[in-house]
Amino acid sequence: MEETGAAFRKELVSKLLHLHFKDKKTKVSGDALQLMAELLKIFVVEAAIRSVRQAQAEELDHVDVEQLEKVLPQLLLDF
Amino acid sequence: MMEEEEGAEEQQRFSYRQRLKAAVHYTVGCLCEEVALDKDMQFSKQTIAAISEVTFRQCENFATDLEMFARHGKRSTINTEDVKLLARRSHSLLKYITEKNEDIAQLNLERKAKKKKKWEDENRNSVESAEAGVEESEN
Repeated sequence: MEETGAAFRKELVSKLLHLHFKDKKTKVSGDALQLMAELLKIFVVEAAIRSVRQAQAEELDHVDVEQLEKVLPQLLLDF
Repeated sequence: MMEEEEGAEEQQRFSYRQRLKAAVHYTVGCLCEEVALDKDMQFSKQTIAAISEVTFRQCENFATDLEMFARHGKRSTINTEDVKLLARRSHSLLKYITEKNEDIAQLNLERKAKKKKKWEDENRNSVESAEAGVEESEN
C-alpha cells in the first residue's frame, strides 16, 4: 500500500528532532521516524485544510494568513 | 581569538537551522499544493510560509516531549509508542496514527519477508549446483 504524494523525508525528520534533543545519547528508531513523518504530514495538511474551510466560510477565493490565524489555536490544542 | 571562533560556530549553527527551515518549507509547499488542487482553493505565499514556520516550531515541542517519554520509559531510543503518546490529545488523530503504525509495521514485515525469500532463492541455486558438483565428482 504505497502512498504517492508529498511527504517528509525520514532524513529531514531525524535532523529536525535531533536539533532539539538535550541528551547526546537520544536516538530514534526507524519505525518511529516513519511514524513522525506521518504525524508531521497530518499537522501540515490539517493546518491547510482547516484554513481552506475558514476561507470558504468567509466566502473568499483564496487563503490568507488571517484564515490560518483563526484556525491555529484549535490546531495547536489538538496536537 | 576565542570570540571569532564562537562567532563562526554561531554562524554555522544559524545556517544549518536556515537550511532545515528551507527543507521544511519545501515539503510544506508541496503538501499545500496538493490540498489546493484537491479543494480548488489557492494559498497565499505568506500562508505557506506561516504554516512552515509553525511546523518548524512544533518540531521543538515534539522532540522535547519524545525525548522525555523515552527517558520516562528508561530508554535512550525513541520508539513508536512514544510517538503515539504525542497524538494523545485528539481521539481521531490517535486512531489515525495507530492505524498508520500498523500499516508501517505490516509493510516492513512484507519487505523483510521478500528479502529473506530472495536470499533463499539465490542461495538455493548455489547450494543445489554445489551439491550437483559433489555428486558428479563422486561418480
